[in-house]
Amino acid sequence: MFKEKILVIEDDVQIQNFMIYTLENAGFAVAGTVNGKDGIDYMIRKNADLILLDLGLPDMDGMDVLHRIREWSEVPVIIVSARDQDKEKAAALDDGADDYLTKPFSATELMARIRVALRHYYRMSGAREEEKPDDTVYINGSLKLDNGAHVVYKDGNEIHMTPTEYQLLLLFMQNPGKVLTYHTILRKIWGEGYGEDTQVLRSVMASTRRKIEKNPAKPEYIETEIGIGYRMREH
Amino acid sequence: MTWNQNDFWSGATLFDLARLTSYGGTRGGNCPLLNCTAAAGKSGTAAVDLRWTVVMEKAMEKKRKFAENIIKLAGIVLGATLLGKMFVALGFPETNIVVVYLLAVLLVARFTQGYQYGILSAVASLLCYNYYFTAPYHTFAVNDSSYLITFVIMLVTSLVTSAMTTKEKLLTKEAKERGEESQILYMLSSRLSDAADIEAVLRIAAESISLLFQKNAGCIYVGRQGAPVYIQQVGGEQIHRSVQKPAELRGKFSNLRTEYLEDEDAWYYPVNGREHLLAVVEIDKAVRTEELEEKKKFLHSILENIAMALDRIEITIERVRDRENMERERERANLLRAISHDLRTPLSGIMGTSEMLMDMTEKEDKRQALLQGIYQDADWLKAMVENILSLTRLQDGKILIHKEPEAVEEIIGCAVAHVERSFPDRVIQVETPEEFRLVPMDAKLIEQVITNLLDNAVKHTAPGEAILVSARYTEDSVVITVRDEGEGIAEEDVPNLFHLFYTSKTRSADVKRGIGLGLAICETVVKAHGGTIVGRNRTDRKGAEFLFALPLEEGEKADVQRKNTGH
Repeated sequence: MFKEKILVIEDDVQIQNFMIYTLENAGFAVAGTVNGKDGIDYMIRKNADLILLDLGLPDMDGMDVLHRIREWSEVPVIIVSARDQDKEKAAALDDGADDYLTKPFSATELMARIRVALRHYYRMSGAREEEKPDDTVYINGSLKLDNGAHVVYKDGNEIHMTPTEYQLLLLFMQNPGKVLTYHTILRKIWGEGYGEDTQVLRSVMASTRRKIEKNPAKPEYIETEIGIGYRMREH
Repeated sequence: MTWNQNDFWSGATLFDLARLTSYGGTRGGNCPLLNCTAAAGKSGTAAVDLRWTVVMEKAMEKKRKFAENIIKLAGIVLGATLLGKMFVALGFPETNIVVVYLLAVLLVARFTQGYQYGILSAVASLLCYNYYFTAPYHTFAVNDSSYLITFVIMLVTSLVTSAMTTKEKLLTKEAKERGEESQILYMLSSRLSDAADIEAVLRIAAESISLLFQKNAGCIYVGRQGAPVYIQQVGGEQIHRSVQKPAELRGKFSNLRTEYLEDEDAWYYPVNGREHLLAVVEIDKAVRTEELEEKKKFLHSILENIAMALDRIEITIERVRDRENMERERERANLLRAISHDLRTPLSGIMGTSEMLMDMTEKEDKRQALLQGIYQDADWLKAMVENILSLTRLQDGKILIHKEPEAVEEIIGCAVAHVERSFPDRVIQVETPEEFRLVPMDAKLIEQVITNLLDNAVKHTAPGEAILVSARYTEDSVVITVRDEGEGIAEEDVPNLFHLFYTSKTRSADVKRGIGLGLAICETVVKAHGGTIVGRNRTDRKGAEFLFALPLEEGEKADVQRKNTGH
């Protein structure tokens, strides 16, 4: 039976044990290293299908490990970090990490993130061309986005959206379960040259939520990740 | 208050005050300012009798003075007349006699007290001259009318001379008094500046004032730094008394409209510092009103000196205490931070491992509940550690809050999601305004404030009772409210809600845990944002509500905007 291989780069042995145990129980093949250099070596020699990377490593910065690996590999990387490292988390996501987990996290959270990351990875490598003309119908809970017809339905009723709101929702429907940083969203919807002003994004997000959520302050679809970005919850 | 040893003063003089303030009497001579009558305040005499005695004595004294001056005047004028007779016998011209009388007027003015004697002597001299030395002799009639001119000139000259002399004498006396006064005050203030604590100042104050009036006096410290102290000078002794109702005293004297208060036993003068009432000086009622009036300026100078000395000591105490507090606070924060930081990692391990064990254990297994317990305790500890870390970081002032424009609904949404994850059986209602605005805040910290308030609400409500978090905009702020239908806040807890490490004393310790951190953090965070927070019981029904307000714009920018929009 094929087992996906997960590499855990984490210097805290207790947490590494916990992760390895959980992942093995879930049916993954798991390898662990306690510093960045060994992790990179492992990737070069044996490769892995997903990496759990701690940002605070004893020998080198977790960001550097990410950059080194990204030089040749598109393997999904999930960042593991402490609570007060929002800046680093956002930077890692912008630099190619796929998701992040904040310590302490639960086994459920860990598994959910890994599943999302792997799914996105497979879909991307399967589709290859990211920007292909897309007439897919995306469905999440009672929300339906028909990209061919350019129409959004909620509970079967069509809702009117501005072009920007539509683009924003489409982006999230295409990436369910995945955290999208402000930077990523701005780049994808407003273009490369737009800069880092998140105020317009937040305002569009607010109007979008008012159309798709029952209560914008208790969102069921697009959740806020404070200091980082947004994530669409899967239903 | 009763005064026991009034008799002590009958022998003492105010000279003692001069001696007291000059370190053992290097000053010689008399001190006219202080050499006032030691009023006969004999103990055991009723107040009315006392006043009567005083009036009598004053009258007697006046009579004696008057007689003395008249004798002097008569003697001098008589002497001048005799000298004039001698000149006549020797055949000197009459003009010499006029000069002798002028001299006499001058001497009278010099050696008597008051204008009236100088004037009287001028008139007497004129009459004597007329009587003895102008023809017809031994009558007040005048033959030669040119003498009238001599008389007028003589009268005017002698009046002016007398007035000038008397005035100069008064000026000299005043200057001397002022000099002595300032010297005494200088001595007093230098003694006061050596005083190291409040009690020392009170002792000097009580002693000086009682010496000034030759009566018992006291000084009661009711200032802000330290316990009230009351020193009373009774005779030669200083008595430490207890202060009855210092708060009442403070209230009575803090906004005094009059110069002083009085009761049956004493006069009371407030000693006001730069900011608040420092002390109250009491002076035995045996001191007469006139005497108080007479020494008013001097007394005020003494009170001012006392106020300055007490102010100085209060500031010193405050500064030392502040420094100690800061030091202690910093040490405590450092320790807390170090411990918390090191707790974080093993806690993650405990939580993870227990969760893993739960996964590996059958649902029916008894161990499931034990593992659940481990997990929940670790989770609680983790939350506490996070709170401590936030708090110490904030209080340290090292980490400045990082304000960015944020959407309030997003922050509330995150906090609610967080709390609902921790308490899956609870539903939190959320109400946010339709209007969308960005408010400058540190998102993470404000999320923690809301989370803490919601946690608190969950802990103090039964599962069926509603919890509502809502936001609304006012003209210049956003107000976020967390309201519950729980048991509410005990009356005695309300003032202490936001105090660090305060936990309610009204419930037993192990019912619901908390070490009083959550609300303290809320207050610290909100204040750091320039906002306000209140906690109180609901008035519409049972339950508690917590409100905090954050300013919509910061400082100048807000002003400019308001001006532009014409608000």
